[in-house]
Amino acid sequence: MSRIALVVDDSRTMRQMVAFTLTNAGFTVIEAEDGKDAVRKVEAGTKLDIVVTDLNMPEMDGITLIKELRRLTAYKFTPILMLTTESAQEKKKEGKEAGATGWIVKPFNPDVLLKTIAKVLPA
Amino acid sequence: MSNEFAQFQDAFFEEAAEHLAVIEEGLLQLEQHPEDLDLLNKIFRSAHSIKGASGMFGFNAVAQFTHKMETLLDLLRNGQAAVSSTIADLLLKSTDCLKTLIDAAKSGTPVDNETVQRLTVELAAASAGNVPAARHASESAKVAPAVPTGKAQSYAINWTPPEWLFQRGLDPLQVIKELGDLGTLSQVAVDVSRLPDLAEIDPERCYLSWSMRLKTGKDRQVVEAVFDFVREDSVLTIEECETLSVKREGLESGNEIRFTNDERPSESGAAKPLGEILVESGVVSRAALDEALAQQKRVGEILIEQHAASPQQVEQALQKQRQQEATSQSKKADTASIRVDTAKIDKLINLVGELVITQSMLSDLGTRFEMSQIHVLLERMAQLERNTREIQERVMSIRMLPIGTAFSRFPRLVRDLSAKAGKKIQLILSGEETELDKTVIESIGDPLTHLVRNSADHGLETPEVRLDDNKPEVGTIRLNAFHEGGNICITVEDDGRGLDREKILAKAAKQGLIAENEKLSDDQIWSMIFKPGFSTADKITDISGRGVGMDVVKRNIENLSGTISIKTEKGKGTRFTLKLPLTLAIIEGMMVRVGRETYIVPLLSILESLQPRPESVKTVIGKGELINVRNTYLPIVRLYEVFSLQPEHTDPTKGILLILETEGERVVVMVDEILGQQQVVIKSMEQNFRKVEGIAGATILGDGTVGFILDVRGLMEIACREAPLVA
Repeated sequence: MSRIALVVDDSRTMRQMVAFTLTNAGFTVIEAEDGKDAVRKVEAGTKLDIVVTDLNMPEMDGITLIKELRRLTAYKFTPILMLTTESAQEKKKEGKEAGATGWIVKPFNPDVLLKTIAKVLPA
Repeated sequence: MSNEFAQFQDAFFEEAAEHLAVIEEGLLQLEQHPEDLDLLNKIFRSAHSIKGASGMFGFNAVAQFTHKMETLLDLLRNGQAAVSSTIADLLLKSTDCLKTLIDAAKSGTPVDNETVQRLTVELAAASAGNVPAARHASESAKVAPAVPTGKAQSYAINWTPPEWLFQRGLDPLQVIKELGDLGTLSQVAVDVSRLPDLAEIDPERCYLSWSMRLKTGKDRQVVEAVFDFVREDSVLTIEECETLSVKREGLESGNEIRFTNDERPSESGAAKPLGEILVESGVVSRAALDEALAQQKRVGEILIEQHAASPQQVEQALQKQRQQEATSQSKKADTASIRVDTAKIDKLINLVGELVITQSMLSDLGTRFEMSQIHVLLERMAQLERNTREIQERVMSIRMLPIGTAFSRFPRLVRDLSAKAGKKIQLILSGEETELDKTVIESIGDPLTHLVRNSADHGLETPEVRLDDNKPEVGTIRLNAFHEGGNICITVEDDGRGLDREKILAKAAKQGLIAENEKLSDDQIWSMIFKPGFSTADKITDISGRGVGMDVVKRNIENLSGTISIKTEKGKGTRFTLKLPLTLAIIEGMMVRVGRETYIVPLLSILESLQPRPESVKTVIGKGELINVRNTYLPIVRLYEVFSLQPEHTDPTKGILLILETEGERVVVMVDEILGQQQVVIKSMEQNFRKVEGIAGATILGDGTVGFILDVRGLMEIACREAPLVA
């Protein structure tokens, strides 16, 4: 059974790249273009194995999304990785406090992405 | 950077064009509406998206230039810089430049470097002075110096993850598995000592710590990187122990350090094993100890070999062990057994004798019982009740020990501390004979030690300073214990410099515990020192000042259902008062009835009961209902309102009013009827349900129903909320 990943990024290119990498690695990918879209897409309690989200997004930003997901019983312990830039230390801290499991620093290559996911995804 | 994403380049250029359009349009609108934050956010996000994605394709010129734009935009949206036409102009020009850069990246043609340079400088200048310093603190600063690579290195890893690990979706096993992928893991041990009792376990918290050995050819950074997501919040030590085998050879060839004492774990439990003492005093972690034990060598030697403890430290611990053996007062020994005065046991045996007689009289009566003998039966039953009660009291008293057992360690401690800190300190103990529950005594030792250490280190000044301040050269630390109501109070007092209000405030503000100009009461300020990681000590000494401890002290006291308060005066000294319940299990209670429910009021808190005259009850607007008791107005709490019951009486002059007191404050509680006095066994509600305001616990009544024990403090808070207390 393939694992399910939720990829949230308002930048279409970024989202597609992450989704592409994950799909190639055998994941089923749900794409969302911002936090609100993401919440709407998993509202029904869709099973998720991992969430990869950008932080800077319109409508609902990544930090709020992380908080929203953690509030839901289904995603209380789901690994959530945030996409950050090297300079956004504050954001990273905020994300951690909101409940993010870890982070991936942009720019990254597919290898780093998959390795980081493996780091937090239970075997 | 990498070509793996090359197929997405077209998508990127397409999207970048869209973002550029958004930025351009946004900037034009911004000139009209410089205050529009939504607009600024939108522009920022677009720039941010371009920056993020361009980096992915290795378009560094684009990424760097966008970063400069983003920095300025960030300042604008945070209000640190104002939108002026000059800035809007600059940003528009930069957008044009960015467009050129992106086009150049697309076609692979060179760019007009001069324009880029000029705009970069201008953007930087516009952001200059506004950019918060050290904002780009690099992670790499925290990385420890590299270890020579190439050969297999052995690391001793001790890891205590933060308790909320799971709540961030982290799995400790995942981390350990990842370590295993780096090399060979051995001696993986889990420390369960922080696990609370089953009833108190929160399954969403991680109470475990791990220790392990990792043999790997990888760099230290690689090992550390495994902990990337948890490192900042964990207690983590990674020590190289390659040198271990060499050292051990040295020892075997005759350099062995011998100890006169046998420090192997004592099976009799008469004294604590050395390792325990070292762990307790914080010299080594428990994991390091477990590992040492696993090697089946003497703990002391191994710890020294591993540089976990110096020979002096081990020697000190050994001395401590000898002391404990001599006095037989170690905690471990206490948990296994208890020393009881033989007089207490004799009395108990007498009482059991009486109980046996009463029982045989009753069974005798039972075999030939007639209704006419009912008064004899009642008499015998009363006797049985007396016997039972007395035995209960005597058995409880066995658990009561004089607090002197907990105080006895301090004379030595203070002596050592004064020598170490170069201060003259005298210790005055009083109230050592005060008795309290054994479990409380056992748990109070460590918090008290911490407070005494704090007084010696922070509180008391050096002799020179004291003389300058016209104080006696010798500082005094006073430990006192006494009963007060149903509680025992223990005070730790020094005549030192007192807490420094300004220093605490400054530190609290620095740590972000309070806002810069927040107005706080003295008590609120003092309570800051109980926050985790808080220390105002200018320099850290090995006595105290690491900012670990006061929070633990507070937690320990609260675990015993106690409170800790501070009284301090600058230049005069500080007094910590610990207030603890005498025993944790049984209280004397007064049963009261409200409607059809029975509640228990702790007897010690009842001052008096009365039925008021109508004229003494007043309703004050905004302050609720008050009653005049000998010219003092006290707020009335109608119990039926608090617990939403159907009462028999709603008129205070018809019901019964109980005047309750706790911590010097009073409240009047209205009930329907007083039923009588009874000893009750407290059953915690929090353990099985949750904290209910105004209820301290539950108990099982004589008829088998459940009765709630009132929490007078909680009721007082309810009263204060509804009607501020009249002084």
